[in-house]
Amino acid sequence: MKLCRAVVVWICLLAAVLFGGTAAAVAQQPPRDVLVVATSADPQTVDPGWEMDNHAWMVFYYAYDRLMAYKGGTTGVEPQLAESYSVSPDGTVWTFKLRPGVKFADGTPLDAEAVRFTFERLKAIGAGPSEVFPTLDRVEAVDPLTVRFILTRPFGPFLSTLAHPGASIVNPRAVQARATQEDPWAKRYLAENTAGSGPFVLREWRKGERLVLEANPAYWGPKPALSRVLIRIVPESNTQRLLLERGEVDIAESLTPDQIAQIESQPGVRIERHPSFFVQYVYINNRKIADPRMRQALAYAVDYAGIIATVERGLAVQMRGPIPKGMTGHDPAAFQYTHDPQRARTLLQQAGYDGRELRLLFADRFPWWPALAQYLQANFSAAGVRVKLEQYAWATLRQKYQEGDFDLALGIWTPDFADPYMFMNFWFDSSNWGLAGNRAFYSNPKVDELVRHAAASTDQAERLRLYAEAQRTVIEESPYLYLYQKTLQIPMRARVKGYVFNPMLVDMYNFPGISKD
Amino acid sequence: MWAYALRRLLAVVPTLFGVTLVTFFISASIPGDPAVLVVGQRASPETLERVRHEMGLDRPLPVRYLGYLRGLARGELGRSLRTQRPVAGDLRERFPATLELTAAAMAFAAVAGTLLGTIAAVRGRLWDTLTRMVAVAGISTPVFWWGLLLVLLFYRQLGWLPAQGRFDPFLDPPPAYTGLHLIDALLSRDWQALVIASRYLVLPAFTLGSVQLALVARMIRTGMLEVLREEFVRTARAKGLTERVVVFRHALRNATIPALTAVGLAFGELLGGAVLTETIFGWPGMGKYAVDSIGSLDYPAILGFTLVVGAGFALINLAVDLLYAVVDPRIRYG
Repeated sequence: MKLCRAVVVWICLLAAVLFGGTAAAVAQQPPRDVLVVATSADPQTVDPGWEMDNHAWMVFYYAYDRLMAYKGGTTGVEPQLAESYSVSPDGTVWTFKLRPGVKFADGTPLDAEAVRFTFERLKAIGAGPSEVFPTLDRVEAVDPLTVRFILTRPFGPFLSTLAHPGASIVNPRAVQARATQEDPWAKRYLAENTAGSGPFVLREWRKGERLVLEANPAYWGPKPALSRVLIRIVPESNTQRLLLERGEVDIAESLTPDQIAQIESQPGVRIERHPSFFVQYVYINNRKIADPRMRQALAYAVDYAGIIATVERGLAVQMRGPIPKGMTGHDPAAFQYTHDPQRARTLLQQAGYDGRELRLLFADRFPWWPALAQYLQANFSAAGVRVKLEQYAWATLRQKYQEGDFDLALGIWTPDFADPYMFMNFWFDSSNWGLAGNRAFYSNPKVDELVRHAAASTDQAERLRLYAEAQRTVIEESPYLYLYQKTLQIPMRARVKGYVFNPMLVDMYNFPGISKD
Repeated sequence: MWAYALRRLLAVVPTLFGVTLVTFFISASIPGDPAVLVVGQRASPETLERVRHEMGLDRPLPVRYLGYLRGLARGELGRSLRTQRPVAGDLRERFPATLELTAAAMAFAAVAGTLLGTIAAVRGRLWDTLTRMVAVAGISTPVFWWGLLLVLLFYRQLGWLPAQGRFDPFLDPPPAYTGLHLIDALLSRDWQALVIASRYLVLPAFTLGSVQLALVARMIRTGMLEVLREEFVRTARAKGLTERVVVFRHALRNATIPALTAVGLAFGELLGGAVLTETIFGWPGMGKYAVDSIGSLDYPAILGFTLVVGAGFALINLAVDLLYAVVDPRIRYG
């Protein structure tokens, strides 16, 4: 008995120390000038010259400025570091006048040389972000406040690309000071630190725990209402939900639709819902399914409304051709496939479908993919097409995209810059076969010509006409199944004010404009 | 004993070599291209090629492996494809968190398990049944279920303990002498930090330790029951010693040896197996890092993690073998 008593006493003592004065210490409401965001993982790096992940962009986007910026919640761009710009008649030379008096966070002046250096670094590293500037030849600093971009050929979306996170202007002095023989572009330094002129500075990064952004006191623009942004790494979505419910975090990034439905009605919680350019489609391997009638049959077999209602709980809009609603070039009158299994059967017959089993590939990458794959399988089977489902690891599936080792495969797409180029040229130009964008291995010389012309033209009306014509063909020939564009849900505390959703900045929050009640 | 320890240490080297060989070729033969994961959705073939070259992925496998071994000989674990940083640095940053969590879980399992096991063996049927129920529940409940349950109870319902992380997100942790928050707080005499760090540690350590607790309790109980039937225990009782002295001084020490083996093995397992617990509680350790690395085929990071866990496993086993001699004076190494 003595033994038991001793144990009980010890446990009580320990509990008293640990739980003593607890209530206050557990549910910490962040102060008004601190925004707390719960996200599921660390970014890999925060290097604008290297990262192609929204997760990382969210952290560093507002630590840097760019020549151009998105106008509020729209896809249009306006000057940011640039004051004015002009373009040569042939569309290959762009000249920018820079805003005077802008300094990097360490006091170094931001001049034309910094812009030139940024793009030199980008091209030298040659990772994902450099792909956003496919026609950029070189950048010249004409004088301290004048910078000239020379393109190898005209590029319609050029201005828009300058708002891309990869176009963030980095501080040459900070980079050169850390450059070594082995690491001439200071990738290691910029992987973990920011060196920009934006309204925030990355102050601290405790891996797996938190990142701290602090307002940049030297910022040239209006002072943000927030003095700090605390990004907490919370891998478990259930925990994110609890933290949001208790007000410990202001924005919870990775809640499931179930969890969002459960917290929706709670006081103090608000769900922001916005149509996005996050597009869900199906790649049809055109090399294996070469007859357009067969592909049309598949498009008629899909129950679009049913998928949106069940798989996406109504939070999606059926696409009308490849360019999503809200993006320039979207054609509201474009032909839209409907659920018509009878028609599908007829087309299958005409195409001479031999009843062979098709392989539909997907991965564990997105939580709704298994349900979507099963739904499609049932749709196809109702129209008389046998489909076998194959699930892979994400990295493996991407390999298979690249090699074209599939009949059908689920895929998603988001645009890097706000231009129909992101859809039309990537998806249909036959020089982009495989992972690079044309994952259907589609080839039509006429479409190639149309989208290439549209890319090279700087006459917006002409471009839209060319894209519209190309769209008609690719809807007719159905190299992909255009399923839906998702409506994004962002759960946050009701006290968060000034949040602006920009479809180009998915999973990113406009920290400089946000305040709290 | 020192000669023995040294011999055992040397024997670890070929084991670790084998570990690198197997892990390297397995992770390299998984279909999928790490470069693709780095350059994003839609890189052109030229970009892919360049990045692949920069990451050294265009060289033949054996050459890559030899390069890796050469680095290893210099004490380098290579550069992570994902974070662009030396793997050794990445792991060093996260190792203390995992060590602190596993050590706390193990300490909890060892102490509570020994107590439960002893009580089960010494007290009557009722206690035995009770501890068996605890043990079965501990072994058969998946870690993530335990974790979620505890979070719901202690964070959501009672509001007693934090659900997530390793330290108050609004405060700075104690200065990192060792990287173990508890020890650092003690060293810097920061009692508030000590309490905060302990509070963050309780739920994850309890969750992670629960399975091992059950194992230890069962082993101690069995050992105890055997030992208590032995003649020296009867002798001790006949000498008029109190039951407490008989049980704890005489019997428990003898019942500990099999449990010690279990604890040693379990500790190694915990090092590698803290993955789920770390994910549930947002604990910034190596387990979470390993999972992220596997997801992006970051083979230098996967290898580094495997090596560290392998080395930890080997060292702990050695330590356990040496401890036998301490617990049981009849065992000698030489």
